[in-house]
Amino acid sequence: MKPPGFRPLADKQPIPIWLQEKTPFPMPRTAGGRSYRRGFIEKTLASIADVVKNEVFSDFLAGRQGLLQGLDPRVKLISILFLIGTAGLFHHILPLLLFNLWLFWLARSSQIPIKTFAKRVWIVVPLFTGILVFPALFNVVRPGTPLLVLFHFQHAVKLAYWDIPRELAITREGLTAAALLLLRVGASVSLAVLLTLTTRWNVLLKALSVLRIPSVFLTVLEMSYRYIFLLLQTTSDMFMARRSRLAERSNSREERRFVTSAMGTLWGKTTALSHEVHSAMLARGYTGSPRSLFRFEMRPSDWVWMVLVFIIALVFVGGDRVFG
Amino acid sequence: MHIPDGYLSPTTCLAFGAAMVPAWTVAVKKVKCWLRSSYVPLMAIGAAFSFTIMMYNVPIPDGTTAHAVGGGLLAVVLGPWAAMICITIALAIQALLFGDGGVWTFTANCFNMALVLPFVSYWVYRLISGNSDPAATRRWVGAAAGGFFGLVTAALFAGVELGLQPILFHTAKGVPLYCPYPLAVAVPAMLFAHLLIAGPLEAVVTALVVRYLQSYNRDLLSLRTLSDATSPPASISYRKLWWALGVVIVLAPLGLLAGGTAWGEWGAEEMRKLLGFIPAGMQRLSGTWSHAPLPDYSLPGSDSFWSSAIVYILCALLAVGIICLLTYLFSRFQAAERKELS
Repeated sequence: MKPPGFRPLADKQPIPIWLQEKTPFPMPRTAGGRSYRRGFIEKTLASIADVVKNEVFSDFLAGRQGLLQGLDPRVKLISILFLIGTAGLFHHILPLLLFNLWLFWLARSSQIPIKTFAKRVWIVVPLFTGILVFPALFNVVRPGTPLLVLFHFQHAVKLAYWDIPRELAITREGLTAAALLLLRVGASVSLAVLLTLTTRWNVLLKALSVLRIPSVFLTVLEMSYRYIFLLLQTTSDMFMARRSRLAERSNSREERRFVTSAMGTLWGKTTALSHEVHSAMLARGYTGSPRSLFRFEMRPSDWVWMVLVFIIALVFVGGDRVFG
Repeated sequence: MHIPDGYLSPTTCLAFGAAMVPAWTVAVKKVKCWLRSSYVPLMAIGAAFSFTIMMYNVPIPDGTTAHAVGGGLLAVVLGPWAAMICITIALAIQALLFGDGGVWTFTANCFNMALVLPFVSYWVYRLISGNSDPAATRRWVGAAAGGFFGLVTAALFAGVELGLQPILFHTAKGVPLYCPYPLAVAVPAMLFAHLLIAGPLEAVVTALVVRYLQSYNRDLLSLRTLSDATSPPASISYRKLWWALGVVIVLAPLGLLAGGTAWGEWGAEEMRKLLGFIPAGMQRLSGTWSHAPLPDYSLPGSDSFWSSAIVYILCALLAVGIICLLTYLFSRFQAAERKELS
C-alpha cells in the first residue's frame, strides 16, 4: 500500500507534494555545493565528533617515541604543573617570549607536528585572549603613558565613575600588559597541550595519584571518562535520529524543547545506568574501596629530567629578574 | 566562565585550592553517607552527564546557538554536594584532557562553578519550591530562578577574582601582571553578559528539563529515589575539618595579600621584610649576581639604549640556545636508555 500523499512514479513526480510545498531543509555541504548556516544539531554532532577525533589523535601522538612520551607520567605531570606555575612568575615580555620558544623546541623534541601545535596554541589564544585584552590597550579603560594617539575629543567626559579623557590613545602600560597576558596564557596553554597530546588519557588519570588526590576521586574520574563516550554516543544517536527525520527547518522554540528533553532523557538514562553499574560492581565483589592495578616505574632519565626542568625554570625566572 | 591559566596569579590559585580542599572533603563525606557504595558509579556517570550536556548547542532566539552550563540542573536533581563532585570531575576532565580552562586556575574555576553555582542554585530552588509536590509549577519556576541566580552569582565571583588581579599584582611601574581589568571593568563586564544571555538561557534550560522530568520521569525529581534507603545514614565527624578550616582562614589573607608581589617571587629586600632576615644563601647569590661578567647585560662602553637592548637579546638568545641544546641532549640520553631497555 502506498502512503497517502504519494503520486505514482509514472507522473514523473517522485517527491510528495507536501514536501515540495514546504521550505526545503538544506542538506550538508558537499564538495562544490553551497555552504549553509549550521543548525544546533550539526553543531552538537560536530563537537561530539571533535571530542572523539581529539582522543584518537592524542592516542596516536602519545604512542610516538618522543621526549615527553618517554617520561614517567607522574614526572611529566609534575614537571608540566611546575612549568605552568613558572609561566605565572614572569614579569617581562622577552623572557616569556623565549620561554615560549623553548616550548616549541620541546614540542619538536616530542615529535608533535609543529603545525598542529602552533594551530592549537597560537590561533586559539590570540583569538580569545586577544579579543579580551584588546580594550585594555586604550587609555579609556586603563590610563597610562600614551604611545600612539588615535583620536582627539572636544573635551573630557565623565560618565558615572568612568572618566573618558580628551584623547584616545594606545598606552605603553596597556600594550605591555596585553603582551604579557597573551604570552603567559600562550605558554600555559602550550604546556597543557603538550601534556594532553603526549599522554594516553587513562594513564594521565592514573598519574594524578602522585598529587595525593584521594583514590575515590581518581576512581570516579576514570569511570567518568569511560562513560563520557557512551553518553556522547547516546547524544549523537538522539540528535542524528532527529536530523534524519526532519523535512523542514523547525522553529527555535520547538528546538529548545527538543534539546532540553534530550537532556532530561539523558539524565534518566544516567541514573538507570549508574544503578546497573553499581549492581555489576557489587556482583564482582566491590566493597566500597577501589583498588588500582596500575604500576609506574621511575628510570634514571626521569630523575635527570626533573633536575633539568628545575634548572631551566630557574634560569628563565632568574633571567626575568635581571630586568627588575 | 572557565578562567584559563595566566589570568590569575599562582597565589590566587593556591588560595582557592586551600578553600576548596575542605569543601571537597565535606562533599565526599556527605555523599558517601547519603548514597553508600552506590555513590561511585552515580558520581562518575553524573560527571559524564555534566560534561556531555555542556556540549549541547541550545538554539537561542537570534538564530544562533549557545551552551548551557547545567550546574543548576545538577544541583536541582542531585542536591548541591553531589552536584559539586560531578561538576568538579567534569571540570577536571575538561582542563586535563581537553585544555578548556586552566590547570592552575582549576581551583578558582571549581570555586565558582562547583561550589558557588550549585549552592546558590539549590538554595534559590528550595526557597521557591519548598516542599511542594514534584509536579507543582513552583518546582520548575524555582529551577528557572535557581539556574539564573546560580550562574549570575558564579559570574560575579569570577569577575571579582579577575578584577582583584591588577590591584594585587602589578610591576613597580603599575603594569598589571595578570588580568589587566580592575574591578570596575571586570565585574560589570562579567555581569552584563551573564545577566542578559547566559543567565536567561540557563534559566530556560533548567526549567524545561525539570518540566520534562515532571511529565515523563517524576521520580527523578525527588532525591530519595536515588539513595540506598535500606540503611540509616551514619553520622559524620567534622572535627578535623574545623581545624583545617581554621588554619585556612588564618592563612588565606596572608596568601592573597602578600604585599603585592606574587608568592615565591620575593627579592632579598622583601625576604628581609617577610622573615626579618635575608637567608644566607640568598645573600651570597645576590652578591654573585652583581659580579657577573656582564653586569646588567651590557658590554663595556655601550651606553646607548639600543646597543644594550641588542646585547640583552643576544644574551637571552644564547641562554635559550643552551637550554634547547640541553633539551636535545636529554632526548638523546633518553633514546639511548630506551634502546638499552629494549
